Amino acid sequence: MSFQNCAYLVQKFQSISKSEKQWKFWREFILRNLSEFQNTNIDHLLSLSIVWANHVFLGCHYSQDLMEKVKEMAEDIEVEDAPVFKTQDEIMKQRS
Amino acid sequence: MGVPAFFRWLSRKYASIIVHCLEEKAKECNGVRVPVDTSKPNPNEVEFDNLYLDMNGIIHPCTHPEDKAAPKNEDEMMVAIFEYIDRLYNIVRPRKVLYMAIDGVAPRAKMNQQRSRRFRASKEGVELTEEKSRIREEVLQRGGYLPPDEVKERFDSNCITPGTEFMENLAKCLRYYVAERQNNDPGWKNITVILSDASVPGEGEHKIMDYIRRQRAQPNHDPNTHHCLCGADADLIMLGLATHEPNFTIIREEFKPNKPRPCGLCGQVGHEIKDCQGIAREKQGEHDQFADSLPCSEQEFIFIRIAVLREYLERELTMASLPFPFDIERSVDDWVFMCFFVGNDFLPHLPSLEIREGAIDRLVGIYKDVVHKTGGYLTESGFVNLERVELIMQAVGVAEDNIFKKRKEDDASFKRRMKEKKKRMKADKPAFLPSGQFAPQALGRRGGPQPVDNPRHAAFNMRMHGRDQQNMTPTGSRDASDGGPSPSGGVKRKAQDSDSEPEPEDNIRLWEEGWKQRYYKNKFDVDASDEKFRRKVVKSYVEGLCWVLRYYYQGCASWKWYFPFHYAPFASDFKDIKGMFTEFELGTKPFKPLEQLMSVFPAASGNFLPVSWQKLMTDPNSSIIDFYPDDFAIDLNGKKYAWQGVALLPFVDERRLRAALEEVYPDLSPDEIKRNSLGSDLLFIGKHHPLCDFIRELYRVNSTESVDIPPELCHGIKGALDLDENAILPDKIVKSPVPMLKDITHNSVISIKFKDPQFQEGFVFKAVLLPGAKLPPKVLKPGDWERSGRGSWRPQLGFNPHRQQVHLDQSAFRALGHNMSRDRQRDGVYSSAPPPGAYNQGRGGQLPPSLPYSRQQQGSLLGPSPGYNQQYPRSYGNVSSSGWNQMQSHGSAYQQSQQRGPGGGNYHQRYEERRDHRGRQGDNSGRKYPLPPTSGRYTWN
Repeated sequence: MSFQNCAYLVQKFQSISKSEKQWKFWREFILRNLSEFQNTNIDHLLSLSIVWANHVFLGCHYSQDLMEKVKEMAEDIEVEDAPVFKTQDEIMKQRS
Repeated sequence: MGVPAFFRWLSRKYASIIVHCLEEKAKECNGVRVPVDTSKPNPNEVEFDNLYLDMNGIIHPCTHPEDKAAPKNEDEMMVAIFEYIDRLYNIVRPRKVLYMAIDGVAPRAKMNQQRSRRFRASKEGVELTEEKSRIREEVLQRGGYLPPDEVKERFDSNCITPGTEFMENLAKCLRYYVAERQNNDPGWKNITVILSDASVPGEGEHKIMDYIRRQRAQPNHDPNTHHCLCGADADLIMLGLATHEPNFTIIREEFKPNKPRPCGLCGQVGHEIKDCQGIAREKQGEHDQFADSLPCSEQEFIFIRIAVLREYLERELTMASLPFPFDIERSVDDWVFMCFFVGNDFLPHLPSLEIREGAIDRLVGIYKDVVHKTGGYLTESGFVNLERVELIMQAVGVAEDNIFKKRKEDDASFKRRMKEKKKRMKADKPAFLPSGQFAPQALGRRGGPQPVDNPRHAAFNMRMHGRDQQNMTPTGSRDASDGGPSPSGGVKRKAQDSDSEPEPEDNIRLWEEGWKQRYYKNKFDVDASDEKFRRKVVKSYVEGLCWVLRYYYQGCASWKWYFPFHYAPFASDFKDIKGMFTEFELGTKPFKPLEQLMSVFPAASGNFLPVSWQKLMTDPNSSIIDFYPDDFAIDLNGKKYAWQGVALLPFVDERRLRAALEEVYPDLSPDEIKRNSLGSDLLFIGKHHPLCDFIRELYRVNSTESVDIPPELCHGIKGALDLDENAILPDKIVKSPVPMLKDITHNSVISIKFKDPQFQEGFVFKAVLLPGAKLPPKVLKPGDWERSGRGSWRPQLGFNPHRQQVHLDQSAFRALGHNMSRDRQRDGVYSSAPPPGAYNQGRGGQLPPSLPYSRQQQGSLLGPSPGYNQQYPRSYGNVSSSGWNQMQSHGSAYQQSQQRGPGGGNYHQRYEERRDHRGRQGDNSGRKYPLPPTSGRYTWN
């Protein structure tokens, strides 16, 4: 898969709900890791990228292994003023 | 619509839409239960043709009830569901069709809500179990007693989703149930039953709507069919309005707030799990005979009459001097459409429109203002005129700033009031207690109340006393009897300060300048300058409004469309929306059941799926692992509790889901393949039904094509029939799927696949009254009633405008006099007061009746006392639900009113006649029993 091809794919996968800013970081994540996934299922990379984006921009948590993995993949990507979230667990803890 | 506030608002504003159900209870004779014969006339004085059950509203409370102990296993759940349906059937008594619809695979637009519910349910379930075991530990350590924890698996309510084994089993049980009743219950003998189980795509209520819509559009439909739809969702009211059927009624459980719930640990009422002390249970009743009864009565049902709501709306929406002819049907559709702005299952509601803040009234006001300018209605048969909607939105947008400011003010003043109230409640005495001769006295004390002496002076004393108090202690409680400040006042005040709850932080501050920027920044993470993004959100929302309206009026326009954001835009953002929507993608298909399970379940509910499918939810190398976060953020969005907030879950990417599933599809077992396939509706009829022979013949010749129902054989119902390979057939044993119920050995019921009538692509179902439809008589008091001089207005309480007012005849008076002996009369404080409610004749102080009546009493009864005139109708209104007249009002009221015909219920007319009658009797001074007239009820006509 050529680089251009992939860039095109990434463009195509841009989901409607992402803002310009999120889309920028997300694309960076994909392009940075693209080489590693040259010969595998591109959906896998896509999935990991969304795991990372969901964590940063939506406040989702995934299993320990997965979180470490995507954080590693996202090293050096500096997200400026990322939103802050409260998970249900945290709200419940606060309450009791 | 997941908006509980909507129903509350509606029933308060339009109170007459509600009619309480009369339910005939099964009698017991020598310990044998005699079932109710539902083929008898309906005690509610109305006859329904069709009953539709939105089954999910029944399945949930029967499988995990909130107000009683949960059923132990699946079999008990099924029996509970059967009993619930029996109860409904007994109240409604349909005569033509019973349609049962279980939620099938939902459109994508609904799936995001389902997903968030299921992710939350699963999390809350885990939290509850954890809390239970933690507190159990604590209580046991403190030496408390708790009943042993039964080893039972927690019922995961997430299994109530199409495609699970539970749902398949439920469908099987319901087939058995229908056959059982049709064989044995006389009320079911002639009825056509249609069962649409979870294998048929579509939400339950929308499958029902589709059925009604398609029947209405074919020529054999009876336009005066009386429909009754069961379900608690507020959107059923919208759907009922959207059908434009003149006779449409909804039945639901009466909503009673603050019902006591048993504690999850010890099973006792009165505290929550976290406050459980593990104290031994108190005996209920002398011999603990009430141990299992909660201190509240059985849930009762109410009818909601859409016809009456239409009357109200007609009154409210009618506009004079319009530039185009006023059509109430179209206005009702516009009203339904505007209600979607306030909340629906498919879109988040607009931030400025809160139902509690009178949003619908505001919208109606704007609508009536704006509609002059728009030159026409907002909608037509489910299609939206965006240009006109924009005018409404802009008018809301103008007010937005003020709405937010006012919300803040109201919120602050509410908090202040609550704080003051709390303060008052904390004090152990009410702020004011009347003293002296007005002091409250304990019930049942000997002597009873004394006559009041010099009341003005006493009131003056109390007032002065109170004023002095206030001056001494400006806050807190005061003791009315000794006047001194409460000794523990200081302690109390300290407690008040500490209990202010933590405020959820709000960084949007909609009431402050710059709220729009902050909202977009915080909720969507975009800058206010990003006009392009804002347009994107508005466009999606506009599409959503079009989709929802179409869904209600024409059926699902696209199975694929969904609103891809967690929040709504502002009303003021709806600019130039005219061209934003053209048409939905045609030919979209619903998900398969197991695919839908993959897209709505959290990984924790993966046990309902095949193993290799489960792995896709948990394996870090799965290509769809991003769909299944372990934990997710909740945005309280200005609300207080987590369940009110917005769950920030990622959306499912359909393409990737399908791609990932392609690899695991070969792993399905034959059973799972079956569960994953599309099913069809089933039609059941008994041997007495005229269609029965027709269907038997189809099976005999083994017809391979679908055959249309001859409408004359089945109350004008149209549809196509297809042979079912697993059909219930006459003379074939129907096996019971529930061990505690018997097999049906002598079966005469037959079942067959049923398909709604089909129409050409692009066919538009017209949202109009059908020709030949007769509107039911008006219920509301005409606006010009006073001027017409027709006497005082008597509100209609039930379905029957000529309802028989129940009264006691002579023998009843004798029986009362016999049973209530005179010796008891002087006991207790209330001996001189008349019995409450039903029986106001007892005003003389001598009653409950001591027969024979004296002449004076009779005189006072017949005299022109002003109170009499008012009390009479009121007391009769209550009569059907209160004690003594029960036998009459239940069984025979209906028949009586039929015999009497119209006019029989007009109290005033009869009252006049009665007076004449008694007047004549009064001359006969020799009579010992002048009251009531011997002529009995029939002569009063």
